[in-house]
Amino acid sequence: MQKPNAIEVSGLTKKFGELAAVNDVSFTVTEGEFFGFLGPNGAGKTTLIRVLTTLIKPTSGKAVVSCCDVSEKPDSVRQRIGVVPQAMTSDMDLTGYENMDIYGRFYSIPKKERKEKTKYLLDLVGLTSRAGDLVATYSGGMKRRLEIARALVHTPDILFLDEPTIGLDPQSRRVVWEFLEKFRRKDSLTIMLSTHYMEEAESLCDRVAIIDAGKIIALDSPDNLKAQIPGNDIISLTLSDTSRLDEIKNILSGIQFVHKIKVDGETLRIYVDNGAQNLTSLIDAVKGAGGTVSSVGIHQQSLEDAFIHFTGKSIREEEAKKVSFLIGAGVPQKLGR
Amino acid sequence: MIKLLAVIERDIKKFWRNPVVIMISFVMPLLYLVILGNSFQGKFKGLPVAVVNRDSGTYSNRVIENLRALEAGPKTISMFQLNDEGRAVEGVRDGRYKAALIIPPDFSKRVVLDKKPEVGLFIDNTDNISAETIRNAVGGTINFIRQQYVPVRERPGEIFTRNIDLYSMVDYYQSLVPGVVIMAIFLGTMTAGVFNLVMDKFLGINESYLLTPLSRGTIVTGLIISGLTITTVTALTVFGVSMLITGIPFSRGLDQGISILIVVILTTLALLSMMFLFLGRAGHPRVVGLFSGFMNVIFFFPSGAVYPVESFPNWLKAFSKINPEAYAVHALKSILFKNAGLMIVFGDIMFLLGFTTLMMVLAIVTFKRTL
Repeated sequence: MQKPNAIEVSGLTKKFGELAAVNDVSFTVTEGEFFGFLGPNGAGKTTLIRVLTTLIKPTSGKAVVSCCDVSEKPDSVRQRIGVVPQAMTSDMDLTGYENMDIYGRFYSIPKKERKEKTKYLLDLVGLTSRAGDLVATYSGGMKRRLEIARALVHTPDILFLDEPTIGLDPQSRRVVWEFLEKFRRKDSLTIMLSTHYMEEAESLCDRVAIIDAGKIIALDSPDNLKAQIPGNDIISLTLSDTSRLDEIKNILSGIQFVHKIKVDGETLRIYVDNGAQNLTSLIDAVKGAGGTVSSVGIHQQSLEDAFIHFTGKSIREEEAKKVSFLIGAGVPQKLGR
Repeated sequence: MIKLLAVIERDIKKFWRNPVVIMISFVMPLLYLVILGNSFQGKFKGLPVAVVNRDSGTYSNRVIENLRALEAGPKTISMFQLNDEGRAVEGVRDGRYKAALIIPPDFSKRVVLDKKPEVGLFIDNTDNISAETIRNAVGGTINFIRQQYVPVRERPGEIFTRNIDLYSMVDYYQSLVPGVVIMAIFLGTMTAGVFNLVMDKFLGINESYLLTPLSRGTIVTGLIISGLTITTVTALTVFGVSMLITGIPFSRGLDQGISILIVVILTTLALLSMMFLFLGRAGHPRVVGLFSGFMNVIFFFPSGAVYPVESFPNWLKAFSKINPEAYAVHALKSILFKNAGLMIVFGDIMFLLGFTTLMMVLAIVTFKRTL
């Protein structure tokens, strides 16, 4: 039996002035699914999450989250979703426990239930011993864990996480992933996460939507996304001189197991089947064409290669163009208005 | 209700954990009292006046004596006796003296012969208020020299005005207390209520509670009630302390206390909801700082706390008709100094109530529930 949909989005558009931050986006997320949005900063991930979590009104299109349309019944949606925003939003002047308790009251949870739930969640995210300390004294990772716990205090149907590990060190990042894994196993909770970390999307998500310039350009499981790239390995050959580059490229293109070749300076990125097995014959072919190989690399296709395949650019190139992380989730919607 | 209480508790806890803000909220209004009380002052004191006496007759000496009495008694002036008119006038020009009085050599003679005696009074008229004071004080003293030895009695045929004070004496310091309390309330409404909302917005914290099912009304009302609690406590403390400092008696006990409490609460609500309406959409705390600094001046000075409303030009009088602080000052002055009951300040209370209701409704309606 097919599971019912937790989120249904059709033709959703959000414009800030002329700029369409989210441009005619449609997708569905089924109950219990771990759904990821992968895209560079400025792709529209945060705007999309803000529309789905009732923080911004859509310009056009429809989004049904959990029970209701976000534009028609925002309060009913708010009651059923938990959100971990990108920026740290805990009250620094309150303790971890007080933060949880006050949020529980915002959802009208009765005292006894609130106490139990708070205790349970703080224990789950490993903050019990620090619950009585002011949040101002917490580390970045602890604050993030507290926010995840806070977002779950009212037992929501759907948990939204907007770049939950941004700004965390690799170790804290891993800890957060472990929690999310734990929650994923609870079958009733649907999780929707946005990220620009490939590893995060690849290891956590059931399905990933690659989003760029406000549009979804690919949507599938990480494995299927990778399978859509021709060849399953990439061999990088760096030549010691590039005078015969075109000739070499032509010869290599003719080989049966080679799917595609991209030239990046003096390096050839060759998309092949069975890279390890076919490496030597490739090098021989280069020698036969009169070239010399100065270094060799081989790696398996990753989600990043899928991203490059679909968007035509690496996520890191996109990163470098951005001024700062403030532009994106921080202020952009104000500039447009 | 559970939501509203949570909003209030969150806000009050955050205030309470900030000892510097608490200190400032209590201490600053009291400093206002001390500084206002000593810088404006009801009457001027120690204005420097240079005196050059070129005459050595009886009457010129009498002028000097009278000025000396003025210096010793009400202390309006400090007298500096010089020998050189040039230096005296020069001193007025460069700001050492506020005025120079020159008594010419034939002064006494002209007084005796009744031949239009004259003295010269060079006044620094750029400082309007002190110039007026010196003109009156010195002028009065000089005109008095001939009546000096007339026995003090009411002369027949002359109309005599008998001054009867309706209320017990209120000195200038005491008369400032209502204004200082209003100042304390204003400071409170600057740092509580809408300020916390703007600060949350600035820090990006507001995102998290906009994600919860809190309604607009709950957020606005909650922040106003917590602001009211904090501000009322500070304002009443400031009130009590300044009554002690200036020696205003609690003449009507509990009755008076309740009247004061009602006026303080309503004034606080009026200002909090007004600030909420104007600043509910501000995105940077700097906006609150600039705006409330401006608001403080334009509401405080035309409130009648320092100068009487009746002396304002018509347009400013019209403004004080809609200035909540003017009603608050009137009410507090009536309760404190005239022992008025609640019925006397009924009009003030009704205005403050109406003003608060209007501002609050507008604040809730215009509050933006989304980012």
